[in-house]
Amino acid sequence: MKRPFAVVTDSTADLPDAWRARYGIEVVPLKVLFGEETFRDGVDMNNEEFFRTLAASSKLPTTSAPSPGEFAELYQRLAQDFEGCISIHIGAQLSATAEAARVGAQSVDNFKVNVIDSETVTMPMAFLCRVAAECPTLEAATAAVQERIPKSRVLALLDTLRYIEMGGRVSRAQAMIGTMLDLKPLLLVKDREIKSVDRVRTRSRAIPRMVEFFEADLPVEHVGVVHAQAPDEAERIAADLRRRLPGLDVPVGQIGCVLGTHTGPKALGVVYLKK
Amino acid sequence: MALDRYPGVDGPLFKRALLGSLSWLSANHEEVNRLNVFPVPDGDTGTNMLLTLQSAVEDIKESNAAEVSKIAKLASHGSLMGARGNSGVILSQIFRGFARAVEGKSSLTPAELATAFEEAANAAYRAVNKPTEGTILTVAREAGRAAAAAASSPDATVPRVIAAAASGARAAVLKTPSQLQILREAGVVDAGGFGLQIILEGMLKTVEESESLPSGLTAPRPAAPVASQVAVTLPEGGWGYCTEFLIEGSGLDLERIKNQIEALGNSVLVVGEPELVKVHVHTDDPTRVITLAGGYGKVLKLNVGDMSTQHKRILESEASRVPRPNGVGLVAVVAGSGLVEIFRGLGVDAIVEGGQTMNPSTQDMLTAIESVPYDEVILLPNNRNVILAAKQVRGLTKKNAHVLETHSVPQGVAAVVAFRGDRSGAENLEAMKSEAERIQTIEVTHAVRDTRSNGLKVKKGDVIGLINDKLEFAGSDYGEVVNKALSKLGPGSYELVTVYRGKDASDDELAKLEAEIRSTHPGLEVEVQQGGQQHYPFILSVE
Repeated sequence: MKRPFAVVTDSTADLPDAWRARYGIEVVPLKVLFGEETFRDGVDMNNEEFFRTLAASSKLPTTSAPSPGEFAELYQRLAQDFEGCISIHIGAQLSATAEAARVGAQSVDNFKVNVIDSETVTMPMAFLCRVAAECPTLEAATAAVQERIPKSRVLALLDTLRYIEMGGRVSRAQAMIGTMLDLKPLLLVKDREIKSVDRVRTRSRAIPRMVEFFEADLPVEHVGVVHAQAPDEAERIAADLRRRLPGLDVPVGQIGCVLGTHTGPKALGVVYLKK
Repeated sequence: MALDRYPGVDGPLFKRALLGSLSWLSANHEEVNRLNVFPVPDGDTGTNMLLTLQSAVEDIKESNAAEVSKIAKLASHGSLMGARGNSGVILSQIFRGFARAVEGKSSLTPAELATAFEEAANAAYRAVNKPTEGTILTVAREAGRAAAAAASSPDATVPRVIAAAASGARAAVLKTPSQLQILREAGVVDAGGFGLQIILEGMLKTVEESESLPSGLTAPRPAAPVASQVAVTLPEGGWGYCTEFLIEGSGLDLERIKNQIEALGNSVLVVGEPELVKVHVHTDDPTRVITLAGGYGKVLKLNVGDMSTQHKRILESEASRVPRPNGVGLVAVVAGSGLVEIFRGLGVDAIVEGGQTMNPSTQDMLTAIESVPYDEVILLPNNRNVILAAKQVRGLTKKNAHVLETHSVPQGVAAVVAFRGDRSGAENLEAMKSEAERIQTIEVTHAVRDTRSNGLKVKKGDVIGLINDKLEFAGSDYGEVVNKALSKLGPGSYELVTVYRGKDASDDELAKLEAEIRSTHPGLEVEVQQGGQQHYPFILSVE
């Protein structure tokens, strides 16, 4: 007897290991390329190694989506134990991953794949996976996830615009950052867009600004804090949020290699699903 | 006879054609990469397509299959496994459609080849969730159509069908900016479509050797990024340099000059009189054009623009010209090349040159305010001596002009950083004011005469330090004066010092000052900016 459905996501969800184990979520790695060398995000290279390599590398890495063939292979394997799956992926405005999943799904017969363009990135995807995993059927999971997609927010404080700019996701003009001063942009990923919501001169003032912005956006169903090599600041923000929002667990996640290519080190984020 | 060289497309020929595509794309993929458009994520479209194509031919290299169907199937599978990026995924679907269309066939007639091109495009359309015109999909479809038209001609040959596909692709690529606004705004053609064009050109290069093709179907010259603005007015064959100049002489023969210049480029315009002629041409070799013109008379007002650079500039200025939702403009009074650039970079719409020793007139500021495309304007004087003149402007303009009384450049920078395009003028003024007031300014210069001020005896030439316009310290050395000023402010309550380096400060002086601040106040972050201001070797912002 096959089980009703599996939950699939990709490495940009920054899914906490505990949730992965508890819910049996499958994670397909995106890839990061340093010159000619390709590494699977979180498989061949973890966050620590990535940021170490990034610091030592003179050229910035590039990233790429999994191939449709890789998705096809995973779906084929899941088809032996499951009736179908929900496959929740990084926003199509940011990556070709969801498109690759959709094409990959076309070559698998007798297995229903609901590919979801999450329109977002990092832990809101993990929240969506958790929501899906707690549903009884594929249909219920799909509906529950779809309903929450417009409510996802990533509020990100970058230490520098250099990486996101090189990756082509945001220009300095869009971030309202000139070419000279070392400003800290506060970006919001929402409704398929990356918008600059503020720019702040110093990091220590930018962090309370980020928290203030988040608090103006309450109430939330889930909230977490993500970071790239800034665990202490992330823990402090999370502790602060837990104090103010009793009843929410506020997990802290680490930004993976692929997303880290675009955020650069020392990025911090408050990520949430609005109620 | 040449035409018999390719009676049909069999396995070995298709293999060679794909390898030809690979080497042509490999030579040109950087050109494709360069067509990136913010905020479209595929900044590496060329690389993605190249990697996809490499994966497509991986297994083919080892194959000696005689049948075209077998080679096509290997390409389809390989590209699916290696597809990267949106364009790569679509490319893999093109191979898939092609492979399905040629299933079971050992060799393709020109007509069958054209059908396979069309089927390839159809498959790509079907695979995509929401097909968008003006992308690689459109280019694939137009290539297929052109191939089908060529195949229906009685003298159709395999090379002619491929040539028609390549030229159909090229025509479609040039049209992409008219179909997609984002391309139009950035002034570029679609990168994925351009990649497909290169792939077809690579096939064509494989088969066209020693093949005489009808005119109009010859292989295009090396591919290059193009901008819509130029592409639509430019005849096929060349982008290159937009070259403009005047020739001053006597008895100039316009007709003759025109004929000679036409041989060196296109979009030629030669107008004027026998004494003065205006020339405009798009050419790959501006030097030859200018040398030629120099033989006729004196060349004046020469202007040579690299068109790809021009397009880049269009792209950059487009990005910064997004109108602000709040309809509020910013004008700043500032001097020094670096400071001007900093204020511009932060979004200031107009700069009035001026400052400490060259106070701008009310008229200068009025002109700047009128030049800004907003009805509400915030003016930043950035100097105590400018504030009064600035306030006069309010009575002279019909615009709703506010003067935010910034006393120094650091206050001005802090105010501009706090400005937000989605907040009303009043809200901005409040936020900008409070940010400006948080800033402490230290200005460092040399005394121009002996004086006694603020209980301080100063000799001409001494280094003097002012905190918020007030003379506080004098000494013999920049580091000493700055560190005294920082100590007085109480470095414990600040975290960042921005040093704006003036025109007259040397590299050594800057390095020394930086090192001395760091060693005396290790808790402070120090950032150095090239201000380029006169009179003040250093201006420091402390926050």
